[in-house]
Amino acid sequence: MPGYMGFEGRINALRRGPVRERLVEWREMAPILALDGVKRFGPPMLGLGLFLATWQAGHVAYGAFILPSPVQTLQAAFGVLTTSEGWIVLGATVARVVAALAISLLIGGFFGLLAGYSNFGRAMFAPVATILLGIPATAWVILTMIWFGPSHGAILFTISVVTGPMLYIGMVDAVLTRDRRLEEMAAAFGASRWAQFSRVALRQIIATLAPVFGIALALGFKVAIMSELVSNVAGIGAALARSRAHMDIDMALAYVVLAVMGLLVIEHGLIRPMQRRVGAWKRVSG
Amino acid sequence: MSGMTLATISHVYAGRKVLDTVSLVIRPGEMVALVGPSGSGKSTLASIAAGIVKPTKGRILRQYRQHAMVFQQARLLPWANARENIAFPLMLNGLRKREALEKAESVAEKVALLPEDFDKMPGELSGGMRARVAIARALGVAPDFLIFDEPFAALDPALRRRLQDLVLSLGQDRAFGGMFITHDLAEAARLADHIAVLDRQGKGVLGTLTPPGQRGHRSDVDIFDFVQQSLYGDPLLSDLVHVDERAMPLDLVGDAGLGPRRCC
Repeated sequence: MPGYMGFEGRINALRRGPVRERLVEWREMAPILALDGVKRFGPPMLGLGLFLATWQAGHVAYGAFILPSPVQTLQAAFGVLTTSEGWIVLGATVARVVAALAISLLIGGFFGLLAGYSNFGRAMFAPVATILLGIPATAWVILTMIWFGPSHGAILFTISVVTGPMLYIGMVDAVLTRDRRLEEMAAAFGASRWAQFSRVALRQIIATLAPVFGIALALGFKVAIMSELVSNVAGIGAALARSRAHMDIDMALAYVVLAVMGLLVIEHGLIRPMQRRVGAWKRVSG
Repeated sequence: MSGMTLATISHVYAGRKVLDTVSLVIRPGEMVALVGPSGSGKSTLASIAAGIVKPTKGRILRQYRQHAMVFQQARLLPWANARENIAFPLMLNGLRKREALEKAESVAEKVALLPEDFDKMPGELSGGMRARVAIARALGVAPDFLIFDEPFAALDPALRRRLQDLVLSLGQDRAFGGMFITHDLAEAARLADHIAVLDRQGKGVLGTLTPPGQRGHRSDVDIFDFVQQSLYGDPLLSDLVHVDERAMPLDLVGDAGLGPRRCC
């Protein structure tokens, strides 16, 4: 029996070795792994179960017209996913969020780098960032509707202007908190300024910025749906607006569920693995 | 040729004069220890010598092919394993990753790093191992001028002694000269050919002391006598150089039965 190792360690250990030995080990380890699994997944499953139970209780109390059951909602969501129109609606929102975040990262990141490396730039941009961060997202939605009308560009602008300052602040923080002694070390070995940045500083900056990017993504989704809802431009928000107009509560909740699931898929399928990859060394170095 | 001349170096940092017209000549193949109290500008002078910091005033004549530096805290890249850290300067110098990693392994063996440690991340290495990786990283670029900035200050005396032995064995054929910054005068006397003493306000090198015998072959008694005579026989030095008992190897202080402050 191996000494203490984590869940992944045990699984990896069991994947090695001849088949017969592995089977015996699996049999021995099964109860321990089951206990690990319960400890690991039990609390979140319990929380989710309680949420669904409360939802079902609400459905029973108020009826399907006010609150469809979780099963009904999942069926409606599945129905959306079986049509090409549904995928177009979801794809439109996701594409906007991705494009707008790329713009935010480019602009907010660029100015964040400038401000991080220059005291003058930091002092100059600080009040602008504070003002932009202080403006509520709903105010931007209304303002961009007035300025640009209901258009794809208006939604992109809204998402970018809301998430940009956040990425700016994150970038400034990432630049300022990097370990400059490592750049000195590289300089002592003759690294140029560019090599110090690209080979030493950038790695640290990305690791610090990655969690902020995850938060910006979630915020971007919310702002996108809100903008689509107000401007009625194709996407999850517009689909929600249509469902409201038709009093189709099943479909409205289905789109909410799909939006949340989409966010979870992007977060856990893309952002978290990326964060783990770029920030793994932070956990090891403590 | 692997020497360096620092001529009338002055440096101002954050409105404070850290170094004031410091001059120091390090002859080819010579290892000069730089000692002085905290805040005397030793590390700044090392950074200037390494080209990390540009002095406010003064001239530097570099007479070496390649320099390298070993820092107090190993300053290993936390996202790279031991082998990759050693290979880092080689890649900076344009070597391809594969070749750099292969060369890193051969250098790692010179500093007694075990193959099983090659893949360990800095967080998984002990203090002594990290120091060895830092030394290997510096040796990887085959320097003929090495700057050590208190590389063993944070290590326990026994480990410090072993790493001093390592530095002595690596420099046995005089493949490199350089500068060794330390608070520990016994370490300075043991590893260096000469000791330059920097005064409290970085106002200059007060003088260069030459310990008796050859580096690495001085006995602990010689070292202690030297430190005692140099510092406490000269009222000027004893006034300006602060010797902390804790910075002295315990056995030396204990054997002599006196601490620096009770001396002379």
